[in-house]
Amino acid sequence: MSVLSAEARREFEIHRYPVLVYALVPVLAVVLQAWLPRLLGRFAWFDLPLVVTVFFALSRRNPIQGSILGGVLGIFEDALTGHAIGINGIAKTLVGYLAASIGILVNVENHAIRLFLTFVLSLVGSATYFFVVRFLLGLSLDTDWPMELYKAFGNSLIALVLFPLLDRAKMRD
Amino acid sequence: MESFVVRYRNLLVLLVLLVAQILGLAMQVRRASSGQADGGGVRLIRLWANGIVSPPERILHSTGSGVSWIWNNYFDLRHVRQQNADLQKTVDRLRLEQAALLEDAKQGQRLQALLNFQQKYIYKTVAAQVIGSSGTDQSRVFYIDKGKSDGIDRDMAVITPDGIVGKIRDVFGHTAQVLAINDQSSGAGVIMESTRIRGILRGNASGQPQIVDVIRDQRIKPGEKVLTAGGDQIFPRGLPVGIVDRVVNDPERDGFVDVVLKSAAHLDQLDEVLVITVTEPRFPPDQQQDMAASEALKSAEAEQQKTSDGMAEKLPGLLEPNLPTDQQPLNDTSNPNPVSKPPLAIHPDRFTPGNAVTPNVQGAPDGSQSPGAGSSESTLKKPLPPKSSTSEPHSTPETKPAKPSTPQGENR
Repeated sequence: MSVLSAEARREFEIHRYPVLVYALVPVLAVVLQAWLPRLLGRFAWFDLPLVVTVFFALSRRNPIQGSILGGVLGIFEDALTGHAIGINGIAKTLVGYLAASIGILVNVENHAIRLFLTFVLSLVGSATYFFVVRFLLGLSLDTDWPMELYKAFGNSLIALVLFPLLDRAKMRD
Repeated sequence: MESFVVRYRNLLVLLVLLVAQILGLAMQVRRASSGQADGGGVRLIRLWANGIVSPPERILHSTGSGVSWIWNNYFDLRHVRQQNADLQKTVDRLRLEQAALLEDAKQGQRLQALLNFQQKYIYKTVAAQVIGSSGTDQSRVFYIDKGKSDGIDRDMAVITPDGIVGKIRDVFGHTAQVLAINDQSSGAGVIMESTRIRGILRGNASGQPQIVDVIRDQRIKPGEKVLTAGGDQIFPRGLPVGIVDRVVNDPERDGFVDVVLKSAAHLDQLDEVLVITVTEPRFPPDQQQDMAASEALKSAEAEQQKTSDGMAEKLPGLLEPNLPTDQQPLNDTSNPNPVSKPPLAIHPDRFTPGNAVTPNVQGAPDGSQSPGAGSSESTLKKPLPPKSSTSEPHSTPETKPAKPSTPQGENR
């Protein structure tokens, strides 16, 4: 029975996707994140760029790629808000890094683990966001934590549907 | 050293990314605190993000609008005629109300001219569709499909017919970013309608607009209307903002309260907005035309009323000044169909009701009809008395039942 090291397992379990998926899915996530709240109003309890960041970070198991993808998507989100650019960027950079790092350590093929990770990483992202706003920038931004909790649940539910769909686009060696 | 870099490569990249973004934030905050606009790099990132997101948003919005238009204009047309009639009635009523208020407005303008203060009126607006949002609760901004090419500029007020919505924060070629009044970084000067307490409006964490730093005042009650104060050089004075929802104590300052409002405009369901592009110290042409129509309508109605009054004066009145109230004909409801009685004859003759006499009748002491009398004769002999003489106790004095005049035959 052969035993694989962590590095070898990571290399073995890296998922690859067509370039079109890498290009379109993040853009679509940002576009829908900007458009859907118009229809759903206050019930837009989700953060699609975060879900996409977690998915690719877990699938690729590469902390550098996860950090960069999270950072870029976060900066895109910031650019659409009236706030300074980098607040979401920092939060999602951290989320991407953590997701990829955890992906190396645990079996992320299990859906329950993926959902739990999405939920926890959503809360980590929110906490980072408010830390940056309140302590780094010193802005008086109030926090609605129940809303952040709903958002974490919403992200988990979306991940429940989205992750198996995106898994179908996986390239087989 | 090389092994260190290789070993901690991931962590080092993370640190570099985080530090770069923190530095970028620090530079942006410094520029903002010194009152400068976004730097070139930041502006470029915003432009790129807008350029990537706006076209798909426009397509999605156009598709949704098209489907909605087809449904609303071809299928869902029930009750439209009734609604149209109701709306026409409302327009007529509002025209009259406007004509009534016009005099007050003109007087207000004259007084303002005397005080050397000029009220700004909304002179020109541009209608725009909402095509997207920021996508996050922490930033209550949204995008409209009109930009620099449509004459939109920074700090222009954005409203709906219900009330104010926000102001233009950033302008791109064909889109613009609007900062809503319920964003935590927004600000607008407002005044409470009845108590005349002024304050600054901004959003809270839940996305509700609230007037902050108001000194505690027992007069502030839920339901009071809040209007724009006009002092912020963005919103014209007197536009509806919302109504007071509740008053909460300021957690950071004792003796101060925050007045949470229910916004007049539906900020969560915005579809179309108006951007105020020009304000002038006079009414816009279409409004002047509308006011002229109202005045004409009011004049026509006054003329009609005058004619009616003239006609009423010429017709006999239903009120008799010489009778007490309880005997007024209007108060008598015993007969739903009153019939007026002919006046009393000055010189009664045989044609006078009740005075018809014939030889046969004269011969009958009790006045009864002889059995052999013909029908035509009987009409002459005993004409039917006027209805009102026996069955109308409510007749007017002119038609009051006369004391039965004694027939000549009986007098004998």
